[in-house]
Amino acid sequence: MVRFKHRYLLCEVVSDDPRCRLSLEDRVLGGLIRDTIARVHGTFGAASCSIGFAVRYLNAYTGIVLLRCRKEFYQLVCSALPFITYLENKGHRYPCFLNTLHVGGTIRTCQKFLIRYNRRQLLILLQNCTDEGEREAIQKSVTRSCLLEERSDEEELSDNGGEEAAEAME
Amino acid sequence: MWSALEKMPAPATTYERIVYKNPSEHHYMKVCLEFQDRGVGLNAAQFKQLLISALKDLFGEVDAALPLDILTYEEKTLSAILRICSSGLVKLWSSLTLLGSYKGKKCAFRVIQVSPFLLALSGNSRELVLD
Repeated sequence: MVRFKHRYLLCEVVSDDPRCRLSLEDRVLGGLIRDTIARVHGTFGAASCSIGFAVRYLNAYTGIVLLRCRKEFYQLVCSALPFITYLENKGHRYPCFLNTLHVGGTIRTCQKFLIRYNRRQLLILLQNCTDEGEREAIQKSVTRSCLLEERSDEEELSDNGGEEAAEAME
Repeated sequence: MWSALEKMPAPATTYERIVYKNPSEHHYMKVCLEFQDRGVGLNAAQFKQLLISALKDLFGEVDAALPLDILTYEEKTLSAILRICSSGLVKLWSSLTLLGSYKGKKCAFRVIQVSPFLLALSGNSRELVLD
């Protein structure tokens, strides 16, 4: 009834440079997003968005970022994300952009979406990969995630989604 | 008593309700810029630059690009009539309120009149002099 409602934005950092994702840090990214909101939406935007703003989850290998902001001002944050054109770390500037995948009201819905998205991405990778060794590794991950999916369908009623979700998110 | 009311004939007139929401897409503001010291002059371009920088400070680049027009400008009295789209009126007014200085000199915007119709700005009952 009386609580602060948030919106969780699931974004993917897309870049040509492979070193860009490895240099992702939550504080650097948080500062960059705050500066961009201040530039695009001014003092008003910076103040209203920075109260409930946090970088909740960051995966440097896949480039997935989960941002949190207040429900009343999530549109200001969403509209400022396309204005991020580069990531700066230790003096190196990497051009990149943030792709918004999903907007959810809780971390759990974003997690569910991320699991389905990762499964689809594995299948796409399987089609596109050229190296035999890579193909075997990806096929093993796909079968493992399918087994986990079957197991989760059987145990749908029980609230045991946490373990397999953590495994599939790797 | 209830049966007498039921036998009364229905009224002949039909009522029609017309809701007139403000169709004007623009709002017009008559403003005057006051400086603390005398002797500061601005031409029209510098005035517009001041307005846009005020919007940019408070609301960022997105709202600094609002379609704002200066319809008239008088350099002697530093007063102007501005036109802004209706959705941006609150943002413009609040950024004018919070503007404090121009090139280091203290100044303030006085908003004399605001109206969705330009004709209303031609006469101001506050400046009316009764004989």
